[in-house]
Amino acid sequence: MKIKKYSILLFVMLTAITLKAQNDKPRSIQWSSKPGLQYEVYAAINIGGSAPIPMPAEIRHIDSYNPSLNLQIGTTITKWFTQSQRWGVAIGVRLEEKSMKTRASVKNYGMEIAMDGNTISGNWTGKVRTAYSSKQIAFPVTANFKINKRWKINFGPYIALALNNDFNGEVHNGYLREGGPTGNKVTFEEDAYATYDFSDDIRLFQWGLQAGGSWLAMRHLVINANLTWGLNDIFNSSFKTVSFDLYPIYLNFGFGYVF
Amino acid sequence: MASLKWATLLIIALYLNSCISKEPLNAECDITEAFLPGVEMTREPVITNDKVTFIVKAGTNIRNLSPCFKLTPGAEINPPSGTALDFSTPQRYVVTSEDKEQHKSYTVVVQATGTANLNYDFENVRLVSKNSYSYDVFYEIGANGGEAFSWASGNAGFALTGLGKTPETFPTYQGNDGVTGKCAVMETRSTGAFGKLGKKPMAAGSLFIGKFDITNALSRPREATQFGMPFFNNPKMLEGYYKYTPGPVYYRADGGNLIEVPDKKDGCSIQAVFFEVTPGMEMLDGTNFVAEDNPNIIAVARLINEESVDEWTKFSIPFIQRPGKDIDAKKLREGGYSITIVCSSSVDGDYFSGALGSKLFIDEMSLICDDSEIQ
Repeated sequence: MKIKKYSILLFVMLTAITLKAQNDKPRSIQWSSKPGLQYEVYAAINIGGSAPIPMPAEIRHIDSYNPSLNLQIGTTITKWFTQSQRWGVAIGVRLEEKSMKTRASVKNYGMEIAMDGNTISGNWTGKVRTAYSSKQIAFPVTANFKINKRWKINFGPYIALALNNDFNGEVHNGYLREGGPTGNKVTFEEDAYATYDFSDDIRLFQWGLQAGGSWLAMRHLVINANLTWGLNDIFNSSFKTVSFDLYPIYLNFGFGYVF
Repeated sequence: MASLKWATLLIIALYLNSCISKEPLNAECDITEAFLPGVEMTREPVITNDKVTFIVKAGTNIRNLSPCFKLTPGAEINPPSGTALDFSTPQRYVVTSEDKEQHKSYTVVVQATGTANLNYDFENVRLVSKNSYSYDVFYEIGANGGEAFSWASGNAGFALTGLGKTPETFPTYQGNDGVTGKCAVMETRSTGAFGKLGKKPMAAGSLFIGKFDITNALSRPREATQFGMPFFNNPKMLEGYYKYTPGPVYYRADGGNLIEVPDKKDGCSIQAVFFEVTPGMEMLDGTNFVAEDNPNIIAVARLINEESVDEWTKFSIPFIQRPGKDIDAKKLREGGYSITIVCSSSVDGDYFSGALGSKLFIDEMSLICDDSEIQ
């Protein structure tokens, strides 16, 4: 449903940009060489996940992975330098959602089952369903380089504020060793399951690196592709239940309007 | 856009599954099976998370026995399997996991008695303490001064709800003000969000002879309550004292929800079942322990009471022998029969129905036996 909504929004914006761009002469399509600041607004779709690197031994199999399509909208201001105007520095702000859903088979995986504000911790062997979603506001600062008339690339760090987070799921078809590997063994079979919720343990400030390229399709229309790679664990460092770090790694594809 | 999504997905899926690490070594260190080679057993060994009980024929020399164990793959046990030890007192074994990180201590007990305790005063409890909770386990002292057996309860299952903190917040605990000394208290409690999710919205307080198999508590709860211990007498009467307060509103469990049933009262149950042990039915469980068509059951004593009993009141419940059932004296001496006593603060507690707050107190219970008529 969300994907459909985004698709319609993207289509409407694309149409508007295309109509606006129809007056442009093809030959004149090139990055503006006006000195000073260049503005861009853009929209994109985020596809990716929060993945452990390297994959911890506790995860025995990824049964399914659904990245969901998440919207990203933002604006960038680029200051071009030097005589040739090939190098520039861009700062920006963007609102984005990062999300994924996974199903995995795990062995001896740290787990805290949530109940009435209490939790029972232990080690889980069996199936785990996880849903992650984070709405963030991110501030990238990137170095930009124009390769030619229509291509530019960028690279740089970003910081992000995770405003609204969900990290929860279920365990089923397996067993919990209560408190640790030597604790009571409690099996969950057939329709028995338990839920967990680590949403409150998501880190508020995140940072990472991004790199990507942009292709000027029309005078004002630019097609963008970026990879954003989170460099800190999505969980607070005080959170020990998930014993390995998860890094948000997302690819985004979209377009922008360059003023 | 769709093809792009699938291309990305493919890359991510390839990454994810290509990076699956080598399987970690086992962290668990369980005794999964136990044997006493060459020794005649009265029952299958009883294995829990920290104890193994061998029940052998009366008269067996237990000063020199060499038990063997099967463990979690890769784990090691010390003393090693097959070591000869003196089991006149319980022996301690330590199992170390395959990854060498985990150690678990087991008490191994050999029972070779031809007698069973007949009087239960509920004076002795052992505390099971974990990080966030602790609960009581009642046990009885045998003629030799050691522990004869522990009473089972559903407390270990209730612990999973996270609602139990101190022993008194669990469904089964030791109370003060018994007939003499302390007494046993059973109280029907809500199991909160966890119980609702697991379709077990309440937990009756319970106390029974047998074992509570926590492994099955969530998936097959009526099989998790395992009833029975070897018994060498012909039981005639179950006697004791009780008090009872039914909770105000009776609820029927409907999946994870509690549906109020107007005009229905909760009742307590005090039951004892004497049964014959046959291959495949060494213990009874919640599915069959009072079944009319269970051919192993010899005699049943049953008290079900729906009224408030405010003062300590004596009960004497006769064992009613089922038609056509006789007791073989030789088989009785050799441990071929078992008994269980099952007390619950809500008679329908095994179906997670009853009244929250129903409270049953029990003290000074005994089994009256008459062995004179068995030849």
